[in-house]
Amino acid sequence: MNIRRRANITGWMFVILAVVLIAAFYFYPMIQALLLSFKSGKGMNLSYVGIDNYVRLFSDKTFLTAVKNTFIYLIIQVPVMIVLAMFISVLLNDSKLKFKGFFRTAIFLPAVTSLVAYSVIFKYLFATEGLVNKMLTNLHLIGTPIQWITDPFWAKVTVIIAITWRWTGYNMIFYLSALQNIDHSIYEAAKIDGASSTRQFFGITIPLLKPIILFTSITSTIGTLQLFDEVVNITKGGPGNASMSISQYIYNLSFKYSADFGYAATVSYSIVIMIIILAFIQFKAAGDKNG
Amino acid sequence: MKKLLAVVLASFVLLTACSSKENNAPNNGETPATGTKEITVWAWDKAFNVGAMERASEAYKTKNPDLKVNIVENAQADIIQKLNAGLNAGTTKSLPTIVLIEDYRAQSFLQAYPDAFFALNDFITPSDFADYKIGPTSFDGKQYGVPFDSGVAGLYVRSDYLEQAGFKVADLQDIDWKKLIEIGKEVKAKTGKSLLTQDPNDLGLIRMMIQSAGSWYLKEDGTTPNLSGNAALKEAFETYKELMNADIVKVTSDWSQFVGAFNSGEVASVPTGNWITASVKAEASQSGKWAVVPFPKLGGNPNSVHASNLGGSSWYVMNVDGKEAAAEFLKATFGSDVDLYQKLVTEIGAIGTLKAAAAGDAYKQADEFFGGQNVIQDFAKWTEQIPSVNYGMHTYAIEDILVVEMQNYMGGKDIDKVLNDAQSQAETQVK
Repeated sequence: MNIRRRANITGWMFVILAVVLIAAFYFYPMIQALLLSFKSGKGMNLSYVGIDNYVRLFSDKTFLTAVKNTFIYLIIQVPVMIVLAMFISVLLNDSKLKFKGFFRTAIFLPAVTSLVAYSVIFKYLFATEGLVNKMLTNLHLIGTPIQWITDPFWAKVTVIIAITWRWTGYNMIFYLSALQNIDHSIYEAAKIDGASSTRQFFGITIPLLKPIILFTSITSTIGTLQLFDEVVNITKGGPGNASMSISQYIYNLSFKYSADFGYAATVSYSIVIMIIILAFIQFKAAGDKNG
Repeated sequence: MKKLLAVVLASFVLLTACSSKENNAPNNGETPATGTKEITVWAWDKAFNVGAMERASEAYKTKNPDLKVNIVENAQADIIQKLNAGLNAGTTKSLPTIVLIEDYRAQSFLQAYPDAFFALNDFITPSDFADYKIGPTSFDGKQYGVPFDSGVAGLYVRSDYLEQAGFKVADLQDIDWKKLIEIGKEVKAKTGKSLLTQDPNDLGLIRMMIQSAGSWYLKEDGTTPNLSGNAALKEAFETYKELMNADIVKVTSDWSQFVGAFNSGEVASVPTGNWITASVKAEASQSGKWAVVPFPKLGGNPNSVHASNLGGSSWYVMNVDGKEAAAEFLKATFGSDVDLYQKLVTEIGAIGTLKAAAAGDAYKQADEFFGGQNVIQDFAKWTEQIPSVNYGMHTYAIEDILVVEMQNYMGGKDIDKVLNDAQSQAETQVK
């Protein structure tokens, strides 16, 4: 046994435990779920149906509505949140700002609350006779209360407001740490050259934050595609299925209706496929300039 | 190198040891059937179902003091999830001996997991119970459930509001929905109170309407969707729209708003299952102001009667060790104990479906809260008239489709198209 091989084996020995555990608890279930997605039936009576489940996806109106809703959340919420997070982080990074620690904590705090707890609170805030409607009516901004929860349009708005509140602070932290890594001398040089603050922001800050923008938009995209707690607790997916997310549909197929775990696994895999495609697009879009 | 290998191997042994320990952990119903000392029951609703089970367990002590009945309270959604997960994992070790399942869902468990439940034909006689309870609780000719509470529906009305609008409670006896909507408009005009509440996500009202006409979302076989061309469903939809458009409905979005609306006196009636009695009576200041009248029927449907059902559940014995003891327990309590049912009526307001129980004293008590009306006896009488339908496996899957189509219908879509679209969606959904 030569020394190189020995070193190799020793190296593998170090990682084998992790590899085995990951294989057993991640890859094995993934493969099982993939196999399951080709089966259909109620409860234990599953049989292989080939790609029938995948064909069924395209004629399943509830699934298509759930996909549509999820993409509406995605297209509106992710950009709004990313821009907001970046904006706040730049404000907080200002060296002249006082009580920096306080603001930072205040904005990050939502990210440590329990998903269910905050959803329930939002549900009460946005109830017909809830605080938000009371405030808006008292400020004479609206005449009749807005049906935040029971109107198809406003239900989506409520969910978007909720997740933006919950996750902006979390993303802001990434930008803040990235901003602190930008060398101050670059800004000084720009200032000496006479660049305005706006020019500095678009010319220096954004290009240097690009990897973080990519990272946060990918994780946020994945998070939105897996959206579950908020929708279930605030609107229950309603009215009808106007705010239902894909994950909630998976839950319904497994636990609310007669359990069809095969088809539920198919819907889960459709999320996997969508995430892969979206991540690929995002990498491509930011790829060439991304060092 | 060898040392490292040893460490790795040792950790594996440890891991397996841990996991096997977990598998062998003492669990419900592990002891052999003979001389079972302990059974576990899962149920939801502390005051109602759990309360009923506690009283049953108390009553059983005189017959078999050795049996310990562990009652575990879980939310209904949690029970369904745990059952599905446990049964799919192929292990019965984490499962209870007795479980409460809602009638609407029963078939989806009985049919999806045929070997998971224990047939009770040797213990109870199905014909001892209300007929409409037998369809949901049996499968393939075998009786699996011990029918428990009646979901018999009635129309709870505020007699004081009716009087202000110039009606008497007698005017609401045996009416149809059209008439009720007319009354509702009068009440709204005179008192400013809405007739009733509706949650757009919950079509319980539609379910009650169609069952009063002996119809359901599914055909007799319990699997074929019965939406397109279903006359009762069509009339129920039309009635629902008329009701909503008459501006006499207060829209709610959850249970607490629903209960809050009648407790605070915002609505003049509550059409629902008798299990709401406890919540109605919770507002003691309204004592004497309520009455219960028979459920309105669908005027255009010759099969429609003044009796229907909403919810209701039954006890099931799982096919695990201890099942015989559990079956004996259910046989001696919910299966035959008339005295127990009297206690359930007086102490928790639960109306059972054991026919013999209706002859007991508690069923003959007048209730001052309802102006001296004998509500229990009325409910017991209506229970016998509930048309029997096969709820089948897909009540909630189809209801979710109908909720969406109902919104379309309210928005102006043609009723026949609404039901045809719902039918084709349901056919893809439930296969």
